[in-house]
Amino acid sequence: MEDHNKIANPCKALEENLVLFHYGDLAESERQQVGNHLTSCAGCAGYLAQLAALLPLTVKTDEPPANFWSDYSRELRHKIDAVSEKKSWRELLGGFFRPRLLPAWGAAAAVTLALALTFGHQFWQSNDPPKEETALIEAMPVAENLEFFNTMDVLDNLDLLESMGNPGDAA
Amino acid sequence: MTPHGPAATRLAAHRPFLSYSGAATISQDRSRWVNPGDEELVARAQSGDRRAFEELVDRHKQKAYYIAFDFARDREDARDLSQEAFLKAFTNLKKFDGRSSFYTWFYRILVNLCLDYKRRQKRRPTDTFDETMEAEVESSHQPQKPRSPDQQVLARQISKRVDEALAALPARQRTAFILKNHQGLSIKEIAELMETAEGTVKVHLHRAVTALRQSLAEFA
Repeated sequence: MEDHNKIANPCKALEENLVLFHYGDLAESERQQVGNHLTSCAGCAGYLAQLAALLPLTVKTDEPPANFWSDYSRELRHKIDAVSEKKSWRELLGGFFRPRLLPAWGAAAAVTLALALTFGHQFWQSNDPPKEETALIEAMPVAENLEFFNTMDVLDNLDLLESMGNPGDAA
Repeated sequence: MTPHGPAATRLAAHRPFLSYSGAATISQDRSRWVNPGDEELVARAQSGDRRAFEELVDRHKQKAYYIAFDFARDREDARDLSQEAFLKAFTNLKKFDGRSSFYTWFYRILVNLCLDYKRRQKRRPTDTFDETMEAEVESSHQPQKPRSPDQQVLARQISKRVDEALAALPARQRTAFILKNHQGLSIKEIAELMETAEGTVKVHLHRAVTALRQSLAEFA
């Protein structure tokens, strides 16, 4: 741990290019420019040295065991199989509802409805009660209210009945 | 896809796939027949050829795993994340229209999954940094495993600080940094993956490096 690395102060205007210089990602002309600058600027040179020391520390390497990759492939194949199975079911069901099939489904629905209205009418009628029974059902409320109407008639003719009961008054 | 910088040689030793270009090398016609390009495999996979998709998996699984590992820094999680990316690619393969390369499309899926994973992880309470974890981190971090007890303590401190410093970076800065520093992608490739301008990637990278330099200055 050298102290001069801790206080490395690069030229602000060049800092971004120094990072790219470190990664070798500068165009040739810019690379030469930075290279020339580095020979005379201790701050930028120190900064670059610091990047070279620090950035590799951030890389964590991994060397999986020998069977890792074969297990990896086998496991992934199983997962893909499971997904394919689900997918094929979804595609099968989804196939019925594809946009291009919608007109066909609409036409089929219309034909079914027309057939149901035409031929299904008989089935609906067969469930209805016979005509005589229907007439009786319709007449029932009238019959129930007949007495009420009779009472209403008596009330309407009350004056006439009273006058008939007292012939003297009528004269 | 060649890594640059001082870490390149060391990375190449652990990650031989970095030199993979996806192109045939010996005879163009013969290799096209023996070793079809990604686009051809994608077309075959789109028409239902499972073996073509498995070939794509074989080509990209190592790189996918190591990218996921750079984000997750855990073997199990990296395996799950990279496999999830392949599954997602498989289920959405018919939506891939070839406007970008399969490589860009697939790694975009993977990076997004990794970022989601980090977001979920942030919401979880932090685990205690026990001895087992320390030992695991220590053994897998660079530089080479130190021998003396003092060096071991220092390595643990560095590992812990690096993990904290990387976790503290905003998602886009971390993405740009990992893809550049760990994976050696070019600025142009990172910009395509992140769907942003190259200038923006440079800014993210510079800010990430500045933040990490401040966090790790004492270990320089």
